[in-house]
Amino acid sequence: MVPDNCYKGLIMFNLLLVTPDKNSLYDFASCLEKRSDVGLSWAESGNKALAILSTASIDLVVTDEELGDMSGLELAFRLLSVNPLINCVVLSSLSPEEYHEAGEGLGLMAQLPVQPDENQAEEILERLKGLKRLSAEMNIDRA
Amino acid sequence: MKNGRIAIPSMEMGGLDGQRSGHFGHCDVFTLVDVEDGGIKRVTTISNQEHVQGGCMVPVNLLSGHKVNALVVGGIGMRPLMGFKQVGIDVYYDATRPEIRPVVEDLIAGRLPMIEEDQVCGGGGGAGQLL
Repeated sequence: MVPDNCYKGLIMFNLLLVTPDKNSLYDFASCLEKRSDVGLSWAESGNKALAILSTASIDLVVTDEELGDMSGLELAFRLLSVNPLINCVVLSSLSPEEYHEAGEGLGLMAQLPVQPDENQAEEILERLKGLKRLSAEMNIDRA
Repeated sequence: MKNGRIAIPSMEMGGLDGQRSGHFGHCDVFTLVDVEDGGIKRVTTISNQEHVQGGCMVPVNLLSGHKVNALVVGGIGMRPLMGFKQVGIDVYYDATRPEIRPVVEDLIAGRLPMIEEDQVCGGGGGAGQLL
């Protein structure tokens, strides 16, 4: 059983938003910036994101479909060599079936449409919390 | 393998005489085989966690927490494979035999190959499907 005090207080989730155009994630970011339990940082390219991810403690990467120097899916793939424990979401205009095929093996947390809205931001955050809770429960059960 | 703990994704109740699961992340249980001095010392099972999208690291953490040293799969995605490597669990590959016992025996005897990147599901590799 997970003790209640594991969920009380501030739990900071650090997100890295990767896009060459911040407007594409404006609504998504606006929702999350209001929250006190979320830390947001930005990278304007795939290579800059990888540089950040090699040193910073990031819980979730949200990447645009195209980053200029690589695609979002390529970033998700290259992220695996940097730190496979980091979760990743890719904005994509592909159909769900095409996205599933393209992302096979990458362990992507979800697909988001291009220019996701505030509701989708909340859903993604809840999904991330669920994954973190699963991991925490396993560690506590073994304590 | 002389000493260590092997995990095998398994169907239903698992166990040494059970059947392997073809889908690593969706298996019912993991059969854990403890090896001492090159022999099977103990066999136990642990339940797999419910699979959620993006939850590849859940079984990685689960097996790492149970002190697993080696994992045998018939197929696995690139992300969980990299996760296992990060936590120090060697991943072996057998895509033909559904029974657990002969695969375990081969791993102990050193006859089971470690998985190659072109055998990984997605991430540029081909899909590995058991049987």
